[in-house]
Amino acid sequence: MTTGEAQVYDLRYQRYSGPREGRGRSRRAVFENGVRAVLGVGRGGRAKILPALLFISAMTPALVFVVILSLAGDAASGFIPDAGDYYNIVRIVLILFAAIMAPELLIPDRRENLLPLYFVRPLTPVDYLTMRFLAFFVITLALVYSGQIVLQAGLILTSDAPLDYLRDNWADGPRILLVGAAIALFASVAPLAVAAFTTRRAYAAVFVIAAWMLLSIAADTALVIENSGVPDQVALIHAGQITESINDLVFDRTMEGPSGEAIARLHAAWPVAAYVLWTGIPALLLWSRYRRLRL
Amino acid sequence: MPPLLEARSLTKRYGGVVALDDVTFDVQEGVTGLLGPNGAGKSTAMKLFLGLIRPTSGAASILGEEPYRSIDVRSRIGYMPENESLPKSVAASEFLMHMAQVSGLPPAHARTRAADVLRHVGLHEERYRPMGEYSTGMKQRVKLAQAIVHDPVLVLLDEPTAGLDPEGRQEMLRLIRRTAGAFGISVMLSTHLMGDVERTADAVIVLESGVLSHQDAVAKLTEETETLLVEVADRREEFAAALAAKGAQAQDDGQTFMLENAGEDDYDRIRDAAVESGARIRRLSPERRALTDIFRSAPQ
Repeated sequence: MTTGEAQVYDLRYQRYSGPREGRGRSRRAVFENGVRAVLGVGRGGRAKILPALLFISAMTPALVFVVILSLAGDAASGFIPDAGDYYNIVRIVLILFAAIMAPELLIPDRRENLLPLYFVRPLTPVDYLTMRFLAFFVITLALVYSGQIVLQAGLILTSDAPLDYLRDNWADGPRILLVGAAIALFASVAPLAVAAFTTRRAYAAVFVIAAWMLLSIAADTALVIENSGVPDQVALIHAGQITESINDLVFDRTMEGPSGEAIARLHAAWPVAAYVLWTGIPALLLWSRYRRLRL
Repeated sequence: MPPLLEARSLTKRYGGVVALDDVTFDVQEGVTGLLGPNGAGKSTAMKLFLGLIRPTSGAASILGEEPYRSIDVRSRIGYMPENESLPKSVAASEFLMHMAQVSGLPPAHARTRAADVLRHVGLHEERYRPMGEYSTGMKQRVKLAQAIVHDPVLVLLDEPTAGLDPEGRQEMLRLIRRTAGAFGISVMLSTHLMGDVERTADAVIVLESGVLSHQDAVAKLTEETETLLVEVADRREEFAAALAAKGAQAQDDGQTFMLENAGEDDYDRIRDAAVESGARIRRLSPERRALTDIFRSAPQ
């Protein structure tokens, strides 16, 4: 048996004399906490299941295409989507992800009365909202880009001449970044705005999904009825078609479906203006809601 | 020493309802009780000092600055709200670490502070459990911990003993005294319970219907009066007769003799009456005021 001298440590309360980093640290903490909240980090196992499933869902199409490409080679090339197709394929997963996960960022803090604890610290409501939005935007962006990165990597590596492929398709890089950012912004703002007006996560998610589906169905239905006299601008209420039209505009693709064809007949400024309204109005509602919040 | 909190002609109206009406007071270092019945304007005053709401007129300042204009001053104050305000699915250690960072502390320091403060409020063993599993007393202690995790100069506590059983209440009051004494953090404590103020506070501010009713040191408000209280163990009637025969004006409520405006001679009269009647004196002391008297004497 070995023996040693025992030591008594003084555990009395100590004043804090370390650095205080002020508002910048506060903002960063809210941002990081937002990322953790959406991904379920620091919470039980159940909180991680849904974000993991949605991430896997967004990645799966890209992985499947890459596996097919690697196995079938050129024979599958006609079947494999290009950069311009991919965002339209994963659009539904993105909407589901945004509708389900956006409420996680804003609703628990309001429902559990945490906002006064934030706003008595060096943080304004606008700081809080901006950081929560950025946290969600960054995660959505990662989700949007991750599938594209896997697909593009697969396309490059399975081509006969990767360098030639890169030279021929170099313009896809900035297009992927631009459209991805536009889609992530679109998918982030409206669900967050809805989440700002309810304390029930399920209500917010159902509202976003239902509104998205109903508006899409309403626009397509109105446009397929012959001689209905409905102007092509009605297609602009088709939320899903707005991001698709931005994607198709940037990638110079032909839009399909009743709403897509109607938007294609309009001047390019129409879908761009609709995109600005679809993101700008929810953003204004969100900002106004938190600015006027009574604690 | 400049005051920690200053209210100058502070008025807050919600539509036609006046929550605070032209209130002026100062709060110095130590523990100050903000006392008043429900609806007196205590929570409104706290929210004004914290910058959560703006005054209709007048000014509220904290540490010499207006809290809704100066963001930086907020890193030196803490707040414990009255209602439940903890994320149920998050562990106390994680929550405190986050709140310390939101107060401006770097992550490594925030982690150490969270552990230290949880130890000091007696929750070190429970720190990794989700707070939804905590008892009311434990939740109150986490709320206090998050208010002091960044080591503020001043902490504002809104009804900190609300919902606690007698034992939990004693523990919370002891922690508040410790926060001010051992931790050196000044406290403003809002409560409708006079006992909480009497046991913890150095000074008291009394609000009634949005108006300042009293402000003074607790010791002064509970100081000795000139009324002398006498209790005897036996021979009450003989003692009362002897006292009257010596010219002492005593009121008898059946248990205690009260001599108002008692002077030095009255002590001699009591002693002599006890000797003559053979009564044994159980208690002889000046009467102390209680904070309840403030409310009795306050204008309605």
